[in-house]
Amino acid sequence: MVAVIASDHAARGSTLTLREVSHRFDLEGQPLPVLDRINLQVGRGEFVALLGPSGCGKSTLLRLVAGLDTPTAGSLVTDGREIEAPDPSRVVVFQDPTLYPWRTVWSNVALGLEARGLLRTHRGRIEDALRLVGLTGFANAYPHQLSGGMAQRAALARALVNDPKLLILDEPLGQLDSLTRIAMQAELVSLWQRSSFTALLVTHDVEEALLLAGRVIVLSHRPARIKAEVVNSQPYPRHRGDPHFVELRREVFEQLGLDEAW
Amino acid sequence: MVAALTAFWPDKPENDWTYTGGFAIACGALAVAIAVAAFAGVRFAAFQRLKRLFPWLFALALFLAAWEVVTAKLGLLPLPFFPPPQAIVEVVIDDWGRLVEGIFASARLLATGYLIGATVGFVTGVAIGWSRLVGYWIHPILRFVGPLPATAWLPLAFFVFPSSFSASIFLIALATGFPVTVLTWSGVAGVKSAYYDIARTLGATQRFLVLKVAIPAAMPHVFVGLFMGLGNSFAVLVVAEMLGVKAGLGWYLQWAQGWAAYANMYAALLLMAFLCSGLITLLFRLRDRLLSWQKGLVRW
Ligand SMILES: Nc1ncnc2c1ncn2[C@@H]1O[C@H](COP(=O)(O)OP(=O)(O)OP(=O)(O)O)[C@@H](O)[C@H]1O
Ligand SMILES: [Mg+2]
Repeated sequence: MVAVIASDHAARGSTLTLREVSHRFDLEGQPLPVLDRINLQVGRGEFVALLGPSGCGKSTLLRLVAGLDTPTAGSLVTDGREIEAPDPSRVVVFQDPTLYPWRTVWSNVALGLEARGLLRTHRGRIEDALRLVGLTGFANAYPHQLSGGMAQRAALARALVNDPKLLILDEPLGQLDSLTRIAMQAELVSLWQRSSFTALLVTHDVEEALLLAGRVIVLSHRPARIKAEVVNSQPYPRHRGDPHFVELRREVFEQLGLDEAW
Repeated sequence: MVAALTAFWPDKPENDWTYTGGFAIACGALAVAIAVAAFAGVRFAAFQRLKRLFPWLFALALFLAAWEVVTAKLGLLPLPFFPPPQAIVEVVIDDWGRLVEGIFASARLLATGYLIGATVGFVTGVAIGWSRLVGYWIHPILRFVGPLPATAWLPLAFFVFPSSFSASIFLIALATGFPVTVLTWSGVAGVKSAYYDIARTLGATQRFLVLKVAIPAAMPHVFVGLFMGLGNSFAVLVVAEMLGVKAGLGWYLQWAQGWAAYANMYAALLLMAFLCSGLITLLFRLRDRLLSWQKGLVRW
């Protein structure tokens, strides 16, 4: 099943390979190891979720993939080339929406197109993206006039407009209410199925990871190591009540060390 | 309230009537106009805003009346130093040519100096905030020379520059440039790194990062610098006009004092106050316009 999905998406998504990636920060002179020899292979058009306790290094890993930081050791390769700097083919939806307060929602979403000089030719995409995240009526609003969830949806639209090959999502739905969240999860899946990008999703929500991803990578406490990998090859749309789904969820919770809670 | 005000207003011209004709008539006309406006205000919403000003207008009228009484009527204050209000009106009417000339000369000097100073300060500030190399070279100079009051350069400037006009422009630009530079710099340096991260992952060039991220994000700071610079430039303007340039309101002020023409002095002071507060208001308007996105976030 994974193979079938992968071949569906072979057209545009990029591959991603992490080899022995380790990263360390300096915290007041003390070395703080955050990532410990991470090995990961993501195929074209695959949807991979990263799960792990808070502060284990998930966001750090995503920054390395984005090319915003370089790892202390190891290498990251996408489509056969080493990741050295940010590239618009890899777009990040950050944990914190960080919209530019001096721009309206519309021109925040337009940012990527503007930066690459594509605004004239691809203007229509902005409307599409805004419609997709349900912010059509707020195109001319300023960020301080949005709620937290709306800001997050605007940040999602800002990423989607760029038609990425690899979409990097750092808890993109974290601030949404549960209803909007379910709707956006379905929206993300259908978007991914249509646009054939590779997706790397960080989330705290076990169900979300299992609903969206073909593979769920469970990380340990800091320094993060890959503890387990859970494959979900169920077809979309997936259902939370499905016995196989429940079984997978139990498995992931067990890997996270929360089995007593069940 | 409106009724009470209108009852009070007509009192004033009667008070003045016995003193100087022209001034009293003007006051009376104004009072009648306001009284009419007050009546109209009951009916038209357009005048509602004016209503807020009534207490102030009333206080102003009281002040003018008191001034009138103390100077012209009772002569309580020594005369050459404290002329009655009508004497100032007289000066403005009789000497308006020279005053207008003075306003233009001051405005021209101030505008040129301020614009040069603000532009240079802004560009320098962005450069220091952005480039480590530029920062390395300019920062020490800024630290050493910046805090020196611009007026300290006055003797040197008048000696070095070909004309006192260009020397004054230099001084005003200097007084404006320092706060603008420092605040622009701190604004650019304080831009959240997340803003850059986002633009970089979306394919922004260095140029885009400076023009579309760093500068707009630093704008609130830049405006603080512009306000401080404007205040500084007023001070330097007056000093430069008094000591060097033989034109402008500052010079008129000193000239009037030299001739013991105190009414002229008050007139010039009054005009200068209008000029300065007008310019500050203008800058506020510009800020509110450019930083409208900030409304509701920070007001200062
Ligand atoms: N720039 C930095 N300098 C020093 N330490 C950092 C830096 N960025 C992150 N860290 C540290 O690295 C660790 C991992 O941070 P990271 O943001 O990757 O966690 P996370 O897994 O995304 O957590 P969360 O789920 O809460 O977002 C944390 O302990 C944090 O203190
Ligand atoms: Mg994080």
